[in-house]
This record gives sequence, structure tokens and C-alpha cells, in this order.
Amino acid sequence: MQFLRGLSRISRSGLRLFLSRQLYPFPVANSSQLLGDSTQKVFNHKETYSWSLVDSHGFKQQIHHQSSFLIEEPLDPFSLVADELSLLANRLRATLVSEVPKLASAAEYFFKMGVGGERFRPTVLLLMATALNVHIPEQIVGDTLAAELRTRQQCIAEITEMIHVASLLHDDVLDDAETRRSISSLNFVMGNKVAVLAGDFLLSRACVAVASLKNTEVVSLLAIAVEHLVTGETMQMTCTSEQRCSMEYYMKKTYYKTASLISNSCKAIALLAGQTTEVATLAFEYGKNLGLAFQLIDDVLDFTGTFASLGKGSLSDIRHGIVTAPILFAIEEFPQLRAVVQQGFDNPENVDIALEYLGKSRGIHRTRELAAKHASLAAAAIDSLPETDDEEVRKSRRALVDLTHRVITRNK
Amino acid sequence: MQFLRGLSRISRSGLRLFLSRQLYPFPVANSSQLLGDSTQKVFNRRETYSWSLVDSHGFKQQIHHQSSFLIEEPLDPFSLVADELSLLANRLRATLVSEVPKLASAAEYFFKMGVGGERFRPTVLLLMATALNVHIPEQIVGDTLAAELRTRQQCIAEIAEMIHVASLLHDDVLDDAETRRSINSLNFVMGNKVAVLAGDVLLSRAFVALASLKNTEVVSLLAIVVEHLVTGETMQMTCTSEQRCSMEYHMQKKYYKTASLISNSCKAIALLAGQTTEVATLAFEYGKNLGLAFQLIDDVLDFTGTFASLGKGSLSDIRHGIVTAPILFAIEEFPQLRAVVQQGFDNPENVDIALEYLGKSRGIHRTRELAAKHASLAAAAIDSLPETDDEQIRKSRRALVDLTHRVITRNK
Repeated sequence: MQFLRGLSRISRSGLRLFLSRQLYPFPVANSSQLLGDSTQKVFNHKETYSWSLVDSHGFKQQIHHQSSFLIEEPLDPFSLVADELSLLANRLRATLVSEVPKLASAAEYFFKMGVGGERFRPTVLLLMATALNVHIPEQIVGDTLAAELRTRQQCIAEITEMIHVASLLHDDVLDDAETRRSISSLNFVMGNKVAVLAGDFLLSRACVAVASLKNTEVVSLLAIAVEHLVTGETMQMTCTSEQRCSMEYYMKKTYYKTASLISNSCKAIALLAGQTTEVATLAFEYGKNLGLAFQLIDDVLDFTGTFASLGKGSLSDIRHGIVTAPILFAIEEFPQLRAVVQQGFDNPENVDIALEYLGKSRGIHRTRELAAKHASLAAAAIDSLPETDDEEVRKSRRALVDLTHRVITRNK
Repeated sequence: MQFLRGLSRISRSGLRLFLSRQLYPFPVANSSQLLGDSTQKVFNRRETYSWSLVDSHGFKQQIHHQSSFLIEEPLDPFSLVADELSLLANRLRATLVSEVPKLASAAEYFFKMGVGGERFRPTVLLLMATALNVHIPEQIVGDTLAAELRTRQQCIAEIAEMIHVASLLHDDVLDDAETRRSINSLNFVMGNKVAVLAGDVLLSRAFVALASLKNTEVVSLLAIVVEHLVTGETMQMTCTSEQRCSMEYHMQKKYYKTASLISNSCKAIALLAGQTTEVATLAFEYGKNLGLAFQLIDDVLDFTGTFASLGKGSLSDIRHGIVTAPILFAIEEFPQLRAVVQQGFDNPENVDIALEYLGKSRGIHRTRELAAKHASLAAAAIDSLPETDDEQIRKSRRALVDLTHRVITRNK
């Protein structure tokens, strides 16, 4: 029936996923519409839905939008680009050679296979590259140009990772961090000296790589992203107690520290593809809102997550005196919490007091709400992209939307 | 007489200098030629001469070249560009006004006037900018373009300083240098972390400024400089005892740590001016050889200078276990010194032993010779530049040549 017809359109990887996860038919808002629609029309609907990953055996799905739809192929955004990611990872490691072995091994440290968490950014960028792929039929030489374009866009993904890791290396020195991504931090293993140098090395390599793309606007974008990373870190290190309690300051800092890199990289992807300003802005908005949503959930998980799931100690933000969104919301409900926050959290009792207020407040909930809002802004940006018939392009766009849901429903 | 005719051609600043320093007539190699030549011909000669600043009251001058000449305006290269340097310094301060005032003041720490030595690089670059100025008469709009070009070249000078200071800040995290240029190094005053962050601020500002020049080749050049600085520092930190005793390793490290910045910046100045590859290479060679000469004399002065004159502790290199050219030359004469060097200099007795060998050897002298060789290679690069009638350009080129002499004859 239509269900089976739908199944036959599911890609191989989607099918694997589908079968392995034993997808249960989901409740539909409007079953008469379901039977009547062709799958073609279904794919043209712009609907939002949310997937919650309850456990590895099934999906729980709710439909928020009025129009119903058949099961589209369940996407694993990461698997869509997995092969390309491996290619990138190897290429990146090959470019990090240095005549000084210690420098090379330090720079490589976080690019080792198996060190999780680092695939998020490149995944977004590669999906964005496909999502913005506008075929111009007149260009018969399209294939070579297309391959070249893809290589350049992959380069953006590599550059973004180098910049990101460089900032992590320096941040760990600044935070005296001992672990990062479930392994020892580089400064812990090789000392502050080498960590600072390795960060500088990565940054300079990234800049040379950006320059090689011969696109001065792209160079500007990434230079600004680098500057924002530094500004965000300094905002965090040197804020007054007034600023610490300001949601506005916090969101600005969060944009600088987390969202700016991905938003500017997404925009760079669009520019390299020769897209219009409008499309480039949509790409930027996607990256920005995705990044903000990601960070807000990070904030929540620092209170609600566990050591094993997060890879860093629970409550690590507050213990480092970093005041995040849940606490800031709580202060709005309980002004007396402000005084505690301004005292600082060197005294562990203050941590307990703050947690108590947090528990009584709607801080966690409101943070999740804000994250969800940004996530749907991100999804809306993708939905606003110019229509396309290309299945690959549409698949990537669905994957990008899917990411906006995963970002807010993840538990780690 | 001709002497007076020569005087009238001296620029105002040169005259001030001339009179204040009570220049004595210098011995001329060939006095008959002196009386016969017109000053015009004199200015067309390419001669080399050296000035030694013995004390503030006079010059001692020797003529190395056969052709004699009248006193050309005594140049103070630094005063030629003094006004422009102030402009640069102010602009640099303005760009450091970050959103985080506390950090900006930390980074500004090294730009304070009176902390000598850091005006050297921008002086060279500004002089180079003038020296490479090729007027193209057809361009009536030349003035605006010229002014714009000048601003861009000044920008290179600013960027070079930002990169240089950033590397000093990060080096200070590494070296635990207790004093740097007679002011407590930043990391003692404000902590390691702020030093890392301040360096990052400068680096990121430098990259943004580079991006604004809209010239990806220049971006590459200066980004590579950062990589070289880091590589040089790491080479110093991680060398094997074999490498420590290798002159080749030492010179490569010197190039990375010192000469690369100025050579690539000079090249960037040439590229911005739209010069040919040949001219750009000459500019590069000037910077490279000047930088190497500077550093070799630095090596010498670390043994022969005093605390007051150098601003850093005498023998500080060797006490930090850094083996420099004089020692490396001494090892060639006294192989038994090699074993001492490989033992390291934690034991102060080894310092004394090394100094004894050094004293018996021609190490200091040979280092000076090598420096002089690089200095004349630098001068030769300037002399190989395309001929010009423009007096400003010729003055700048003479100033650049003058610098190659000052670099090897300075006492601090």
C-alpha cells in the first residue's frame, strides 16, 4: 500500500536504520489525509515534527503540524556524511605535519579517531553544502566544477574544526582543565606550553588554508569567527558581577563562544557555492540558531546530566563560577538568588543554595523552551531555502532539520 | 664649498641630528676625488659606509668602499618615519579597544612607549614601503590610490607588531621570563592566563586586519609567519642534544623565530604595492638578512653586553640552556666543549667552563663576521632595486642600508 510505496523510497541507510530500530507506526493527527495523499505530496509538505530518542529500540513521535505524512526515511544525519567525514579526518591529519614532531602530535591530539563529539560541526557543514547545491543545467562542465566546489566546501569544514580545536586547547589552559572529550586534556598531558603553541599552530594552518581558497569574503568571515571566540572567552573571564547576572550579556557571550563559528562557516559554505545574499543569510541563521540551541541544552545538561553521559563533571559550570541560562532565569523568579551569585561559588554552600533555588524555579524548563525556540528558528531557515526537486538536496535539508530536533532532545 | 652645498641638501631632521651630534669630518679614502665630484654625482654613487654610535657626542665613521663621497645627510632611519610611527601606535591602541577593557589594557602593556626595541620592525616596514614606491605618471588619481596604498602598508606594520607581541606574550607563558625588556613580564604581573588570552586577542585582531586587506596572498604570508614563530619556539623547546649543537638547526630556528616575520612582512609590503616577483623577493631578502644579522648580534650582546644596556640579564641565553652562535662556533674549535653543552647548563659550573672556551675561541668574532655578511646581503638587496630618481625613495633606501650597519654596530 502507500506505506510500502513509501518504504521503497527509503534509502538503503534509512532502511537499515528503519529496520534496526523497529519503528512503530506513529499516531497520526489526521488519518484520512494520510490515506488520501500520495507520497509525492507528502514530501512536499513542510511540516515540523519532533523525534525523541527514548532508547535504542524505538522512536516516539509527535506531530505538531496539521498536515499528516507518511514515514519519511528516518535519517541519521551523521551517517549521510560519514564517508566524507572520514575522508576529511584523514586529510586534516595529513595537513598537520610539522618538522617538529612534538608540535605535530600536539596539534593532532584531538583529531584522533574514536575521540567523540568532534563530528558535529563538520557534519552540519557538509550537509549544508549539499543542501545549498543548486544545479545549473547549462553548465556542462558542471561535474568538474562541482567536484572542485565540494573540495572547497570540505576545506571549510576542516578549517572550522582546526579553529574549534585551537580554541579548545587554549580554553583548557585558561580553565586548568584536566579532561576534555572524556580524555585527558592536552595541557594536562603535555603541559600548558605545548598546548598554547599547538593552538597557535592550528590557527595559523587554518588561516593559510582559508587564504588558499582565494575568497576574501570567506577569509573575513572566518577571521571574525576567530575574533569572536576570543572575545567570548574574555567576556567570560573578565565580566563584572552585574554582567554575570545579565541574560543579555550571557546570550551575547554564548553567541561569540559557540554559535559564531558555525554560523559564519555556514555562511562561508553558501558564499563558496555562489549563492545569493538571502540564501547565505539563511545559512547563517541556521548555524546561529542551531549553535545557540546546542549551548542552551548544554547548560541544562550540566545540571541534569551525569558524568558518564557528558564527559565532563556535572555542575562544572557553576563550580567554575560560570553562570548559565537556567540560573539566570531562576534569578528572575527569585531576586535573592542574585546576591548569592554575586558572592561567587568558591564557597560550595553557595552552589547548594543556588541549586535549591533552581529546583524551585522554572529555570531549567524556560531554558529548554528557549532552546526549542532557537531550534525551530533554525529549522525555519532551512524551510525557507529555495525549493528544489533534487532528492539529495532535499535529504540533506531534512537531515539539517532533524539535527535541530536532536540538538534539543539529546541526553548527552 | 661643496661641503656646505652638501649641507644645504640635508633634510631638516638630518640637520638637527647633524648639528646636535657635532659631526666631525671623517677621513676620506681619496680626497682628490672628493674635491672633484659634484654632490649630484655623489648621490648617485652606491657606497657602503658604517656608522658606529660611540657615544651621544660624535660619530666614528669608516669608509669601506673605494669611491669617496661627501657627507650625505646623516640619516636617522627612525626619525624619517617617527611621525608615521606615532600615528601607527595610536591607531594600534584604538583597535585594541575591545569590548573587554581590562584585557585591552593587558595587551597594550607591551606597546607602552619607552619599552624600546619594538619600533624596529615598523620602522623597517615603513621605510620599505617608501623605498618600493614606484610612481606611475599615467595615474592621475595616483594621490588617492597612493594614500590608500600607504594606509594598507601601514596596516602591515601594525599587523606585524601585533603578531610579534602576541608571540612574546605566549613565549612568556613558556619561558617564565622574569623580566622582559626591564619591565616585569606580563605573566608575572597579571597571570599566565591573561597572557594567553591577550596574545589571542592580538592574534585574532591581526587576522581580522589581514582579512580587511582583501589580498589572500598577503594573508597567507603573515599566517605562515605565525606558524614559523611557533615552530621556532618549539624547536627551541624540544631539540635533541645533537640538534642543539648544530649550527644549521640554530640558523633555521633563528629564521623562524626572528627573521621570518620581518622578511614576509617586507614581501607583503611589496605585494601590496603591486611590485614584481623579483622586487618582492628582494624585499624578502632584505628583511631576512637584516633579521638574521640582528639576531646574531643579539647572541653576541648576550655575552658581551651588560644588564643595563640590554634590558635582559646578560648570559640569559646560556643560563636558559639556549645555545647560540658564538658557542656553536667555539665548539667547532674545541670539540670537548660539545660534551659540556650536551650536559646542559643547569649546573652553573658548566656555564663558566663554556665561557672559558668561548673566550679562548674566535666564537664571538666569527659570529660578528656572519652577522656582517648577512647585513651586507641585506644592503645588496636594496642596492639591486630598480633605479629611481625620486629623492624620497632614495632617502628611504639609504636609510634601509643604514639600518644594516646600525644593526651590526649597536651596543644594545
